[in-house]
Amino acid sequence: MPRQGPYPGFIPPYILHRLIDHGSEWQRSRALNTLTHVRQLLPNPGLASVMGAAAENTAPGTLQRHIYDAQHLTVLPGALKRVEGQRASGDAAVDEAYDALGATHDFFWQVYGRDSIDNRGLALAGTVHYGEGYDNAFWNGAQMVFGDGDGEVFQRFTRSLDVVAHELAHGITESEAGLVYRNQSGALNESVSDVFGILTKQYVLKQAAEQADWLIGADLLTDKIKGKGLRSMSHPGTAYDDPVLGKDPQPAHMRDFVVTQDDNGGVHLNSGIPNRAFYLAAIALGGSAWVQAGQIWYDTLCDKRLDNDADFHAFATLTVEHARERFGIAQGKAVQKAWAGVGVDLA
Amino acid sequence: MKELPPLGSDATVRLSRQGGVTAMLSRPREIEFAQYNPDEREQICSLLKGCLPLTSSESGQGDQRFYQIEVRFRQDDRDDQLMLQVPEDRAPGELVRLWDKGLVS
Repeated sequence: MPRQGPYPGFIPPYILHRLIDHGSEWQRSRALNTLTHVRQLLPNPGLASVMGAAAENTAPGTLQRHIYDAQHLTVLPGALKRVEGQRASGDAAVDEAYDALGATHDFFWQVYGRDSIDNRGLALAGTVHYGEGYDNAFWNGAQMVFGDGDGEVFQRFTRSLDVVAHELAHGITESEAGLVYRNQSGALNESVSDVFGILTKQYVLKQAAEQADWLIGADLLTDKIKGKGLRSMSHPGTAYDDPVLGKDPQPAHMRDFVVTQDDNGGVHLNSGIPNRAFYLAAIALGGSAWVQAGQIWYDTLCDKRLDNDADFHAFATLTVEHARERFGIAQGKAVQKAWAGVGVDLA
Repeated sequence: MKELPPLGSDATVRLSRQGGVTAMLSRPREIEFAQYNPDEREQICSLLKGCLPLTSSESGQGDQRFYQIEVRFRQDDRDDQLMLQVPEDRAPGELVRLWDKGLVS
């Protein structure tokens, strides 16, 4: 949730971040003045009231979007810039976020019959222009947030539909399995977001599994960086190899599983293993990946038997069960073989 | 809430910004107390104590970034470690500055 109230014992970080970036007294003064100005002129109605009202008064499957502009501060949600039905704002980040959230909502509703993040029509809120040259996008439990990128390594994060969908999918995981964001369950949490992020892109592009690039964030890296994207789901560990970013460290198989204290136990690293399992399953099942492989993963995510601290083996076991139940024995075997291909042996 | 033990000149702090879509940009910084004078060490300890109530066990959820502080020290004739995670939106500017520039204010 957006942070409320004073920051105990310290100057608020959203001011200090700017100080660190810019340094001078003039800029410090400007940042403080801007923040005060924004707070005085734009009393925020709060996400809860806006989103709650929208959800209560709409038919199932109705899309409700609210796109905000943080105006390069880190105060959420920011100034409201575009709501459902309004024409394009002319701000690329605002309009990309609006379109991408719409495409993601449409994908889940049309393909899986899921009505938004909570399956109860929750209005989608996204904030763009967060911070100064901010190199990240995230879901904070209430809304999605997108930085503009530093311009040297990363471009604005709304450019990649799969990244926007990835963040929305974090909200869905939170409202379903609630996979704990640490170790193997955390890597599954990340992988599930990559799966539904890439499926949203493939659905919009009408691509079969064999035609797709299986790259997460293919539109994010600047042309100064030697890389294809943030992650490769088909060949984890090959997305980039660059002097600034280093080499993509994702493993593609359990024999290379990364044991680390960093990144909550390597949630963004070891997600490469279930990502490749999904890719192998999608290729084996053929056709549009969202039809069978995606449905199996979605059924698993929504299965009440999936514990929030599930490991790869537990998740894989349920995917095989759902493949058999919904599609048949051959599909179950194909999914089991996909997991065996990354070293998760269910035999 | 965790407590910060007394830190001698043999203590080290590994400070990194972690998580998020761009988790590869963690840029860990190693801080060896032996390289700082007593006043600076006191400032670092004061900063770390100030971070104790800001930590969260759910740091990182949903690609939110966080600062990870790993304090390695010696206590009762054995090596020990304390790890803290401070969500980015709670991180004190002094902590960000220490990570980014290696500077103690």
